[in-house]
Amino acid sequence: MDRETVEKVARSAHLKLTEEELERFSRDLGDILGYFTILDEAPDCEGFGIDPIGVADVLRDDEPRIELEPDAMLEGMDTYDNYVRGPRLL
Amino acid sequence: MSQSSVLSSLSKINEKYLMFRTVTSQTDAGDAKFLFSAKDNLTSKDMETCSGSRILEGYRPPFDATSIAKMREAGGLLIGKTNMDEFGFGTFSTNSAFGVPRNPYDLERSCGGSSGGAACAAAVMEGHVAIGVSTGGSICCPASFCGVYGIVPTYGRVSRYGLLDYGNSLDKIGIISSNASDLGKYVAIMAGADPKDPTSCVQPAIGSRRKLKSVAVPVDATEGVSEDVKKAFKDGLEGLKSMGVDVQKVEMSTLKYAIPAYYVIATSEASTNLARYCGMRYGHQDGDLSLKFDDYFTSFRSQYFGEEAKRRILLGTFTRMVGFRDRYYSKARNVRQSIIEEYRSVLSGCDAVLTPTMPFVSPKFSDISKMTPVESYKADILTGPPNIAGMPHASVPCGYDRDGMPIGMQFVANHWDEGVLFSAAEEWEKNFDAVRPEVSI
Amino acid sequence: MKIGLEVHVQLPTRSKLFCPCPTTDAPAPNTHVCPVCLGLPGARPMMNGKAIEYGILLAKMLGCTVRDTTWFARKIYFYPDNAKNFQITQYDRPLGEGGVYYLNGKKPIRITRIHIEEDPGKIKRVGDLSSLVDYNRSGIPLAEIVTEPDLSTPAEAREFLGQLIRDIRYTIDLPDDGERSIRCDCNLSVGTERCEVKNVTGLRNVERALTYEMVRQTKLLKAGGKVVRETRRFDEERGVTISVRKKEMEADYGYIDEPDLGIFNVKELADSLKIKESPHNMIIRLTKEYGIDDKTAKQFVSTSVDLAKLFEDLAAATDAETARTWTSGAVSAGWRAFEARGGTDASEVVNIVRKFVDGEITDTECGLRIKAFLAGTDIDSVSAGSADLDAMISQYLDENPSVIEDYRKNEKAANRVIGHVMKQTGGAHSSADIVDATKRLIGERL
Repeated sequence: MDRETVEKVARSAHLKLTEEELERFSRDLGDILGYFTILDEAPDCEGFGIDPIGVADVLRDDEPRIELEPDAMLEGMDTYDNYVRGPRLL
Repeated sequence: MSQSSVLSSLSKINEKYLMFRTVTSQTDAGDAKFLFSAKDNLTSKDMETCSGSRILEGYRPPFDATSIAKMREAGGLLIGKTNMDEFGFGTFSTNSAFGVPRNPYDLERSCGGSSGGAACAAAVMEGHVAIGVSTGGSICCPASFCGVYGIVPTYGRVSRYGLLDYGNSLDKIGIISSNASDLGKYVAIMAGADPKDPTSCVQPAIGSRRKLKSVAVPVDATEGVSEDVKKAFKDGLEGLKSMGVDVQKVEMSTLKYAIPAYYVIATSEASTNLARYCGMRYGHQDGDLSLKFDDYFTSFRSQYFGEEAKRRILLGTFTRMVGFRDRYYSKARNVRQSIIEEYRSVLSGCDAVLTPTMPFVSPKFSDISKMTPVESYKADILTGPPNIAGMPHASVPCGYDRDGMPIGMQFVANHWDEGVLFSAAEEWEKNFDAVRPEVSI
Repeated sequence: MKIGLEVHVQLPTRSKLFCPCPTTDAPAPNTHVCPVCLGLPGARPMMNGKAIEYGILLAKMLGCTVRDTTWFARKIYFYPDNAKNFQITQYDRPLGEGGVYYLNGKKPIRITRIHIEEDPGKIKRVGDLSSLVDYNRSGIPLAEIVTEPDLSTPAEAREFLGQLIRDIRYTIDLPDDGERSIRCDCNLSVGTERCEVKNVTGLRNVERALTYEMVRQTKLLKAGGKVVRETRRFDEERGVTISVRKKEMEADYGYIDEPDLGIFNVKELADSLKIKESPHNMIIRLTKEYGIDDKTAKQFVSTSVDLAKLFEDLAAATDAETARTWTSGAVSAGWRAFEARGGTDASEVVNIVRKFVDGEITDTECGLRIKAFLAGTDIDSVSAGSADLDAMISQYLDENPSVIEDYRKNEKAANRVIGHVMKQTGGAHSSADIVDATKRLIGERL
């Protein structure tokens, strides 16, 4: 895979690669995609499935409930006045 | 070893084998009915959960995974969280951020992966029950390398609530133990519909044990497999025949597509699952918040994800990009359906498909470091097919190579037909002379 | 000029889309949260069946096709309010596609699709140094309705949105809490390239944002510039749109199907769910089916959908003209009294009018009976009251014969009578009754 593509993909994935990583991953991903070309010759089949067992129609009733103490979940989080702290937006 | 002596020697055992990421500080087993460990990608209220990743260091989940909760309800005591490849990304457990577990038969060799710590614990501590997780071979591979029994139930059999996702449509929770009878016993405890995991809600009840009468061996099952493994597998087949199991040959033309299709689906899903790890909410959150959000997230992810995690994130991000999505992601899922159909067709004529578990015995760490990514991905050649198809499968030890390293063979049954695997493993155990590793601490 | 809208409506479920957290106002930030809507590792979504029902109702109201199966997808984008850094939405197979919705019953606006998705959390900005996130909103179910660029002016877009919101509220019983629960992304192009103004709240702001954008793009093109495809946001205070970022190309979202939810076979549910006809559609249908004018139809429906339904029952039992006359007259006049006494079943009115049509009772008696029934009183007291009223009107007409002459030229002359009677009776009779009686008695003298 060429370096520009790897850089583009990395940007989208929010990864900053070092020169050395960029080079290594370009080569590795090229090898891996080369191996994957065997998929092109696989015959198509009719079936469709998001998962292997065909999970369908699993629904929940619309009953509101607090399951866990919200404080327990915020415990390990960086918070301020019960808000979760995040980075700058603009 | 008694339960208390296991607890008191846990740290010492771990110093030698590095199978645990976290061990309990409890020294008294109390009235625990059994001791168990869980792979470090299952959430536990009382122990850190990191999935082998630096990015989650220090994370204490506020809830137990359903599988752990059910084991506790059944009287189990969680003694530790087992070491693993980061987020399950690996075949040798060498991609953990927290040390590499050592093979009990040879400390210079790998335990396999990604549930390497789990298989190691099962091999070292007799009677220990280890919860493992398999996405593409992560239970059977280490079970085979460590000479123990491992089972992966049908996709959706055990609730994944509390499992840190690798590939949601592939991840399955199972059991590794040195006792074959533990497979059926503990899968039954963890199984069942869970309103917190929709994919667990369509399962039929677990069937009772059903005697294995016939197996089908794909004609190219031993292609590219080492001589030692070939020989042990042949012995295994002879053993099965002597137990009255009918052995047939079968042509399975779709299995060769399983590994690339598996890696496409797994990394596509993984790259979305890992998006949430960004220096907010959990794990490390100590960055400079005055950075713009894109840069802030990028800095954490670049700093704390390991090499293989980055590689798979890149691969998975690429295979679902517009312009490539059809060729990779959509195609791979279509291939999965073909593989499922072929398994179903073969399994309508026999009880299980049989192959060796791994194409070679556990390699030395020095050899692993020389492997390219494609070479290590190809090590999943035999464990990949049942995993992508969500078929239940089990690895049992079937021999040892000239250095005494264990070799395993793998039974694959139809969806929801775990009963035949429980029985096959138990019957096999009666006929197989296992060689336990020498454990000295 | 082309305008297309993406309208986000919060669905009125009691719990969130994928977890049981309540959707009501929370006492403090991050108190209606759980592992699912906080995106904690290991938690997974579980579908709220009610959200699918609401989505199907809206899809049907918009004339969309609901296919046999529907499923969900992950849309990946990194943002602090996006708990998992992906949003569960729909991509390949939305709930409904290819609908048409008529603006004012005439202009067809094509509906591209309607899908269900989760709302992200809310960010409170703190200066420029960091952000503070409240995930109470994270996971609230949204329906997103996407139109084709069939709207031609900002004013038309506003009119469309107003009508759409009324119909949505009626279809899924959405409480009217201002316009808070409805947000809109507005796409506008004057030339060939379009800009998207994200997250505009309120009808007036939609028109303002679009108008600003229209002027901005027109000026830009006139000056020889080029419109760049981008996302903008609307500054409500200053009334301007501001560039936020270059439009992410779809590649960045990298959609995959959501692997934890499975698929949903909704055909049967869709067939079994009947949508209430929206008020707007009912008006159109009444004019077409019964040949009544737009104003009358609107008056029936806006008084009450039940009144309009009674009109239809009357038309079925008699004929459209008879039904119109009585519904506009005595029935409308007594409707408020009927509702005030908690009346629900007005089918007795049909029996009364039938008797009149069959010649069993007179015009006057029919009116009295209807009035008595609607008010829930006996006919004698109504009759007495009515006789008093008639007497008063007749007396006035006797004393002021010019009213009849004036009325021949202009019907407004009746207002003199009405005004007089109202003053005299001081609210003892409803204005509708007075109008009714006045017109009847003038009619007798013409």
